[in-house]
Amino acid sequence: MDQRPGDFEQYWQQTLDALAGYPACPEIDVLPLRSTDFATLYGVRLTSLGPYRVFGYLSIPTGDGPFPAIYYVPKYQSVLEVIPQGTANLQRSRYMTFTLAARGQRNADTPYAAMYPGLLTDGIDQAASYIFRGIVADSVRGLQFLLTRRELDPRRVVVVGNDMALITAALQPGATHVVTTPALFYNTAELAPRTQGYPLEEINDYLRAFPDRAEAVRRTLAYYDLWAFAPRLSATTLVMAGAPGSLLDAPTLGPLVTALRGQVTVYASEQSNYKDGLYTEQWMAAQCGITDLQSILSEHWR
Amino acid sequence: MTKAVPVDYQSTVKKPDDFDAFWDGVLQQVAAIPLAPEIIPDPLRTSEEIEVFQVFYSSLERVRIAAWYCRPTRRAEQIPAILLLPGYQADPPIPKEWALKGYGALSVAPRGKLRSNRQFNPGYPNLLTYNIVDRHTYAYRGFYVDAWRGIDFLLSRPEVDPMRLGVTGSSQGGGLTITTAAMRPEIRAAAAGAPYLCGFMDAIKLTHTYPYEEINDFLRAHPDSRRAVEETVAYFDGINFADKITCPIIVNIGLQDNVCPPETGYALFNQIHATDKQLYTYDGHGHDAGRYKHNAIVDRFLAQHLLSER
Repeated sequence: MDQRPGDFEQYWQQTLDALAGYPACPEIDVLPLRSTDFATLYGVRLTSLGPYRVFGYLSIPTGDGPFPAIYYVPKYQSVLEVIPQGTANLQRSRYMTFTLAARGQRNADTPYAAMYPGLLTDGIDQAASYIFRGIVADSVRGLQFLLTRRELDPRRVVVVGNDMALITAALQPGATHVVTTPALFYNTAELAPRTQGYPLEEINDYLRAFPDRAEAVRRTLAYYDLWAFAPRLSATTLVMAGAPGSLLDAPTLGPLVTALRGQVTVYASEQSNYKDGLYTEQWMAAQCGITDLQSILSEHWR
Repeated sequence: MTKAVPVDYQSTVKKPDDFDAFWDGVLQQVAAIPLAPEIIPDPLRTSEEIEVFQVFYSSLERVRIAAWYCRPTRRAEQIPAILLLPGYQADPPIPKEWALKGYGALSVAPRGKLRSNRQFNPGYPNLLTYNIVDRHTYAYRGFYVDAWRGIDFLLSRPEVDPMRLGVTGSSQGGGLTITTAAMRPEIRAAAAGAPYLCGFMDAIKLTHTYPYEEINDFLRAHPDSRRAVEETVAYFDGINFADKITCPIIVNIGLQDNVCPPETGYALFNQIHATDKQLYTYDGHGHDAGRYKHNAIVDRFLAQHLLSER
């Protein structure tokens, strides 16, 4: 595990300060095609660091709020979903949901269109201009926007996703719960050489092509390591670990779990997106006080 | 305890009388378009063991289709090849692991996917319902052909043994595996996981998750179009292609799949014409369809049919 860089706080404070220099200027449009009798969907455009305009889908349940909210942070894929594939559409009847396309993803790919693979190493030898500095800012801006919504119950705000969920909640107060599945930024310099699977294989490809940049890459990755963010996070957190023996299994994530300040649950994947997904749904419902989860699960999970 | 899934589930889809004529017409159109393959070495992704190339070829309406092609650096004069087909929202991966197993491996990005979206970009969500009221312009008409033309690319490669071609994929890749195995007799073995695009109109009642939910969204906004939608998707339903499959094939489904309902997996499997076919069902699994156990079965199945020289 790399040491936390001495200027870690300064690096991120400068990022947040720069983001604060750009008002979000939200532009919100109803999307009738994806609206139902139980939820209304909106397309949302926001300004982030750069300035750069990003896009999200905001769903608000029908009825009187306030509602618990799920913020699905940007994924590592080109496509932006209304809600994640496989999630019952009825989830939108109980939770506000917000999904965000960071710079480079569809609907936020002008002028910058990200490549997959390719995004993870775009500018990785320069910490100041690494593409993920902007993507983290985009994700933080998404949470800031969600927290402004009057329909939201600020006691029940769940941030869900990969590493970006933990990073976002660590940088922006307001998340009460986090569900994080580390994939990109945990001890990456050490773990990437142990796999040939993408996306971490991008790091291996890059260092094979540019071996003289290895130290610069390691320096940049240290600013993004989840372990370095962990002391900033006090939200109740569910860490979705890989299956035992996999690259990011629970023992490997041990130092991260220890460093988190809030209450932590670690779940080891059962390599079934039914079992893993159901556990996550149950955990979120329990945390948010939703007692009739069965009624909003997908048909084959009931 | 989840509900039991009926193994004899009957799909409501009917095969249109002019199903074959429709696809014959499409194939005639694409036959007139030169493949014009480009194969560009990608030194960033290439290693000592695996050569990686960016590939482009022309498909229906002359849309340029992107793909990744990998082959083992040290290889026999002729090697077997695998066509890999992507999920609905997946970015097609670089198939290095297949090249490590000894195959030439082509991972295709059909139109609308990243790197193949300059001429056609319906967006996600939206692909599933793009022109869904008209079979002649429906998004999947070209999308299917883009996958089938991957076989033409593999056949254009001198290192590929034309007698040892396979196809595999999961979810949308599973659905495309079905249609590709049906329409390309050169394929010697197929492995389809959690097949999507099978039983469209059944699925939108059986599950309410995206991507199938796109059709429910469309029908809510356009209730008068239901009949036109049913008529269109019947030409694209994997169940209606299944009786054309004659190569050995395996199919795997998860019995708690909330994306591609397992009922439609059974309905598909029951219609597959091949005598050498096997269905693997995974209880306690969702849309992963038991991947972590099943991958080894796929490896063995494809190796049995493709890796040994004839």
